[in-house]
Amino acid sequence: MNTNNNITQELLETVERYYNHTMTADERIMFEKKLQQDDEFKTLVEDIKSLILGIETQTLKEKLDAFHNDMPIQLHAEKASSKARFFNIRKIAAAVVILIAISCFWWINGSSNDRLYNKFFSPDPGLPTTMSRSDNFEFFDAMVNYKKGDYKLAITKWGKLQEKEPDNDTINYFLGVANLADNNTNEAISFLQKTALRPESVFHNDAEYYLGLAHLKNNNRQEAIKFLKLSNTETSKKLLEKLD
Amino acid sequence: MQKAELNLTSTAYNSQLIEGLKCNDEQSLQSLYQSNYAKVEALILKNNGTRDHAKDIYQEAFIVVWKNVKDKKFIPQNETALHGYLYTISKNKWMDYLRSKHYKKTVVTSKLNHFELSDVDHEKKDDDIIKENRLEGIMAAFKTMGSPCKELLTTFYFEKKSLRDIADELQIEENTARNKKYRCMEKLRELVLASKS
Repeated sequence: MNTNNNITQELLETVERYYNHTMTADERIMFEKKLQQDDEFKTLVEDIKSLILGIETQTLKEKLDAFHNDMPIQLHAEKASSKARFFNIRKIAAAVVILIAISCFWWINGSSNDRLYNKFFSPDPGLPTTMSRSDNFEFFDAMVNYKKGDYKLAITKWGKLQEKEPDNDTINYFLGVANLADNNTNEAISFLQKTALRPESVFHNDAEYYLGLAHLKNNNRQEAIKFLKLSNTETSKKLLEKLD
Repeated sequence: MQKAELNLTSTAYNSQLIEGLKCNDEQSLQSLYQSNYAKVEALILKNNGTRDHAKDIYQEAFIVVWKNVKDKKFIPQNETALHGYLYTISKNKWMDYLRSKHYKKTVVTSKLNHFELSDVDHEKKDDDIIKENRLEGIMAAFKTMGSPCKELLTTFYFEKKSLRDIADELQIEENTARNKKYRCMEKLRELVLASKS
C-alpha cells in the first residue's frame, strides 16, 4: 500500500461506483484510460479494491462460523456417531489383539496340567430327565439346572438332598462334577471321593476319572495319576498317556 | 409443455441462489454452505483428515468459490455446477494440503506422489502470495476494528445497503453517514499500514 498518498473521499466513491458497475459508459471509459496511463492512480485504486474485498471476505469468514455452528444437528450427530463408532471398532480391535496376545502368553507359559485339564474336562452329560418322572422330582429338577449349565443352583438343590442321603452315590457324584464345573475343586474332590470309594456304583469309573482331573487342576500330578489309573475308561487312559 | 415450465422454474430458482451469492445474500450463502459440508467432511475424514481439517478446508474453498463467482472467473450454468465446483475446490485444497511440506513433515511414511512445481507455477504463485498476504493483513485489521466502524463498513460493503438506508437506521443525515464511512475507511487503511511497519 502506498503510504504517501491519501485516498480522497471522491476517489473512494469513484472506485465504489466502478466496483459496483454503477458508472456511466463515459465515466467508465475515462476511468479505465486513466488506470492504464497512471501507475500511481492504478495502485491507489487497487488499494481501495483490496480494502473493500478484505472487509467483505472477513465478514463472510465470520458468517461461515455461524453457518457452521448453525448446521442441522442431525448432520453433525450422524457424522459424530459414525466417527465414534469407527473409534469403538478400533478400540475393540485393539482390545481383541491384546486379549489374544495375553491368552497366547498365558497358554504358552501356563502349566501343562492346566492345559490338559482344560482339554479333557467336560462335565458329565447328566441323566435323562423326562416330564413323566415324578418319583424323584427334586433330584431331576436340579438335573435340569445342571444340564443348562446353572451349576450353582444345581449344587444348592442337590446339596439339600445330600443332607438327607449323605451316602447316595448318584447325588455325591453329580455334586462332585457340578462343583468341578463350577471351579470349586476341593468341594468336588470331597464329593467325588465318596462315590469313588464304592466300587459297586455305576458311577465309580467316572468318579475316579473326575477325581483325577480335579487333582490335575490342583496341580497335583501324582494324585491325578493315581486316581486315573483306578478309573477304567478310555479317556482316562488317553489322559494318562499324556501325563506319563 | 409441462417440461418447459419445469425447466423455467428450476432455472429461476438456480439463478436465485447464484445471484444471491453474488450480492452476499445471507440465506443463499447459508444454504450453499450447509448443503455441501457433509460431502466434503466425509471426503476429508476418509482421507486422513480430522473434522477440524474439514471445517478449515471447506471454509477456505467456500471463500474461493464466492470470490470467483463474484469476479466472474467462474460462471455456473446451474446450481449443480456451483455445488460441484465447491466440492472440487475443497478436494483440490485437501490434496494440496496432503502434498504440502507441513503434512509431509508430520507423516514421514507418506506414499503420496512427489511433484515439482514448474517455474511458471512459481511465478504465478509468488504474485498470488503477495496478494493473499495483503488481503490477510486487511482482514486482520478489519477484525480488530471498533464496532461502530466495523458495523458501518459491513452494512455498506457486505450487505450493500444504500447510504440513505444506513443513515435512516442510525438516525443521522445521509451526508454524515457518507463522511463516517470515509473516515472509517481511512482508519482501516491506517491500521493496515501500522501493522505492516
